[in-house]
Amino acid sequence: MTALKNLVIVGADAPAWLSACVLHYALAPAGVNVSVVELPSRVRPADVFATLPALEPLHTRLRIDEAKLIGATRGTFTLGKLFTDSTAHAAPFFHAYGSTGTRIEKKEFLPHWLKAQRAGFPVGFEAFCLTAAAARHGRMLVPDPEIEGFGFTDYGYHLPAIPYGAWLKALALRRGVLVQPAQSVASRMNPGGDIESLDLDGGRQVVGDFFLDVTGGDARLIGAGLGVGAESWRASFVADRALVAFGAPLPAAPIYSEVRACAQGWVALQASQVCTHLLHVYASDAYSKEGGSDEAALQSLARMARMELRDAAIRPLDPGRRVNAWERNCVAIGEAACRFDPIHGVDLQAVQVGLVHLLPLFPVAADYAVERAEYNQNVRATFERIRDFQHAHYLLNRYGDSAFWRRARAAPPGRELAHKIDAFRARGDVVYYEDETFAIDDWQALLLGHGVMPETYDPAVDRTSQDVVEREFRRILEFIGKKVGEQVSHAEYLQTVCAPPDAGARSAARGVA
Amino acid sequence: MTSPLRIVIVGGGSAGWMCAAACAQVLPPQRYSITLIESDEIGTVGVGEATLPALKDFNDLLGIDESAFMRATQGTFKLGIEFRNWDRPGDHYIHPFGSFGQLWGGVEFQHHWMRARKLGLNPAPLEEYCSAIRACRRNAFDFPDTRSIRSTFYGYAYHFDAGLYANFLRTWAIARGVQRIEGQVIDVALNGESGNVETLTFKSGEKLSGDFFVDCSGFRSLLVGDKLQVPWEDWSEWLPCDRAWAVPCERSADFTPFTRSIAQRGGWIWRIPLQHRTGNGHVFSTRFISEDEARATLLAQLDGRAQMEPKMLRFRAGRRAQAWKKNCVALGLASGFLEPLESTSLFLIQKAVQDMMRLIPAPEAGGVDVRLVGEFNRLSDALYERIRDFLILHYVANRRLGEPLWDHVRTYPLPDSLTHKLRLFDSRGHVPFFKDGFFSRDSWLAVLFGQGLVPQTYDRLADFLPADQLAEKLSDLHGRVAIHVADMPTHAELIASYCGQPAPARAAST
Repeated sequence: MTALKNLVIVGADAPAWLSACVLHYALAPAGVNVSVVELPSRVRPADVFATLPALEPLHTRLRIDEAKLIGATRGTFTLGKLFTDSTAHAAPFFHAYGSTGTRIEKKEFLPHWLKAQRAGFPVGFEAFCLTAAAARHGRMLVPDPEIEGFGFTDYGYHLPAIPYGAWLKALALRRGVLVQPAQSVASRMNPGGDIESLDLDGGRQVVGDFFLDVTGGDARLIGAGLGVGAESWRASFVADRALVAFGAPLPAAPIYSEVRACAQGWVALQASQVCTHLLHVYASDAYSKEGGSDEAALQSLARMARMELRDAAIRPLDPGRRVNAWERNCVAIGEAACRFDPIHGVDLQAVQVGLVHLLPLFPVAADYAVERAEYNQNVRATFERIRDFQHAHYLLNRYGDSAFWRRARAAPPGRELAHKIDAFRARGDVVYYEDETFAIDDWQALLLGHGVMPETYDPAVDRTSQDVVEREFRRILEFIGKKVGEQVSHAEYLQTVCAPPDAGARSAARGVA
Repeated sequence: MTSPLRIVIVGGGSAGWMCAAACAQVLPPQRYSITLIESDEIGTVGVGEATLPALKDFNDLLGIDESAFMRATQGTFKLGIEFRNWDRPGDHYIHPFGSFGQLWGGVEFQHHWMRARKLGLNPAPLEEYCSAIRACRRNAFDFPDTRSIRSTFYGYAYHFDAGLYANFLRTWAIARGVQRIEGQVIDVALNGESGNVETLTFKSGEKLSGDFFVDCSGFRSLLVGDKLQVPWEDWSEWLPCDRAWAVPCERSADFTPFTRSIAQRGGWIWRIPLQHRTGNGHVFSTRFISEDEARATLLAQLDGRAQMEPKMLRFRAGRRAQAWKKNCVALGLASGFLEPLESTSLFLIQKAVQDMMRLIPAPEAGGVDVRLVGEFNRLSDALYERIRDFLILHYVANRRLGEPLWDHVRTYPLPDSLTHKLRLFDSRGHVPFFKDGFFSRDSWLAVLFGQGLVPQTYDRLADFLPADQLAEKLSDLHGRVAIHVADMPTHAELIASYCGQPAPARAAST
């Protein structure tokens, strides 16, 4: 029914293979052939995806067995992120993937808590979050009817990048995606300006009707080929270097990642089943006093993690958004479309955003200008709202007076973010735009976590008697204590439910990788 | 303790009393006092009113008993709106408060349906996969069963007498502490420094001061328009109707669970069935038809004897650029006007009242917080613009060639936002989706298809279903909808047994 028969995906690693799996799953029944030009891998043993909860339903749609995936990749679960401060200026807070409190007399929980807090109630907001409590206790959170009645709880994964990419590749190949390895790729245009074919390694040619550029920050097709430029987000993000490494496993793999602020930036600790993935994000000039900044960063990371570093590598950071993610017959996915700051680990989420928006707009006829316009508009707005969430983390920091965090506080927010922070500060109201990725719960955790305390609260809660509120508060806290106690530990869950594949299966997995 | 914030509502009618009642229910009386000024000398616009399903949420918020409310307002149920002759004379379609079919494999129903047509599977017309529409076709009604999904999802709204609804809410609000003052505002005084509204002067010479004002003064927009000089955004090139004749007539046998909207040469006629009578009106544009002709057209089309002389209302389409300025919020007609084509008037009031209560200044804050005003206006802008686009859609996609009004609206340049939506639908049956669900995908779908637009093709994600399975699923769903609807009592029976008057007559059960 359409001229579009051959879809060619160019890239490597989990983003390219996730794209291949999703598009093949959705479009193969419509007669679309999906093939991958696989470029050399960019990931290292130290790399890990700390995913957001949206990945799990996408996996389910692809009929991926979670226990097998976690077993094979030696990944772990994560209920959120704990933000701490090694400089001891700010109190730690959890950004947990779940709701906090329950509605009381049909009114939101936050204003009830704000009112109580003004009257001297000493228990923090986070204490009412079941997901955060489970995380702190190292427990899985397996939903049951009681938990579902209480509120919303979700989880992400820590997926080591190499085995996760291999797993997705094996899946894609099993399902009929074709692969051609290549060291380099260049695009060739037809007279109309669309990409007509790709030259691989200066020789072989691959023709296609439609292309996905999953080549990362290089943007081989959409940038180098089609000449679409990028808009820099440098002004919002201070960090320009990311150092990855891995170290020894922690005694019991935490079911959350920890993001520790330090004078030069921050360090994230993310557990897999076999090691601790470390990430240090900083501004290169923060180490200028100590001579070579790379060496100083390495030492600083080793000191903060109290581990011997292995497989350390430093990459530059240059956040920004491709002006159009979809240009002509090419859609950029992942970093080719948008390079995010590493905070909150949104890389795979960005891949998913690109794919999920593409599916219902995938060309059905030779003319797809209107689909392209719709896609570019929606993806842009979605990326910008994700950026706002990240920017808020830097902008609102209370991590002391080092140059890094001072500059982070000074980077002016865009109109949408400024309004969002203003309205929250004024009333505790989370302004919720049309293309948000992070939920209201996420924003509440972030804003309160950084100490944005609303000056007033929704007056409707004054209608609820103090007795009722106190009773409900107690009930919630007791419920959380009881429920957390019932849960199995993360370690035990990993051992029993997500056991590694047997030797035969393991060698098969290695075979396809 | 800080003294309460004095809220002064200027004007009764639906807007004023909805605001007063909600504030009396939601805001704490120790922190907010509520006064409403209305004048018996000023008539309200109140005619037969058709609403959206959200009104039930509003009544639920107040804790109002549905059958008592319906009895008090001569209310009936509403499952949608039938549009007659909007595409071209003789055509008709229903915009239901419910979904078309179901999502299969995460793919919207219209794509499966279009694909079935393309495959030659001869599916039934799209509307037969919608319980709400099929109930309308039978003049049947039943409450949605939220526990089991027998067929397709739907919700419902009401028709009622807006004047009676305002009376009902007045009694309700006064019993809960709202102070009503009889008076006609002749002067509004601002604070010299802040520019806030401070004091109202009545015709009697009495004065009333307040901290926060709600302008429900109708088209006059005494506070926000007249005094605070918020500019008017004119939308009348897109929506040229500027008058309406309204007249009630005797109830006819055709007791529909839906509103009817019948396109005319110079506008359209509404028909709203109430328990005791049928509300009718002719919305028209004086650029294309005279007042006298419009009046005659309306009277000629009544399906019962007129109960009074028609009354004429004047308006223009558009809105105040800011619905909240300084310490004053405009509600209802004082904030803007969109013709009642999709029954949005009370919804706009309800939504604004709910946002206002959430964002209203705290008494101890000592004034209006511009950060919260900004949020209120942002929400209000988005809603008005979306409704505007949806209304224009009804006009642009017409094939009433050679009729000046219809030629004008068909050819006048559209807002870019709407052009884009139309192109997406044309390309692949793609319909807009908004997180806050207003208007819903199904609403857009109903009007786009209803106006005779036909997408070039469907979304190929639908191809995953083998053709035989698709045929089977369609036939199964079609059957379930038919069985569900066949079980429903007629609208007349249900109204009589649920909220009929004066004495509830027991309906023969079906």
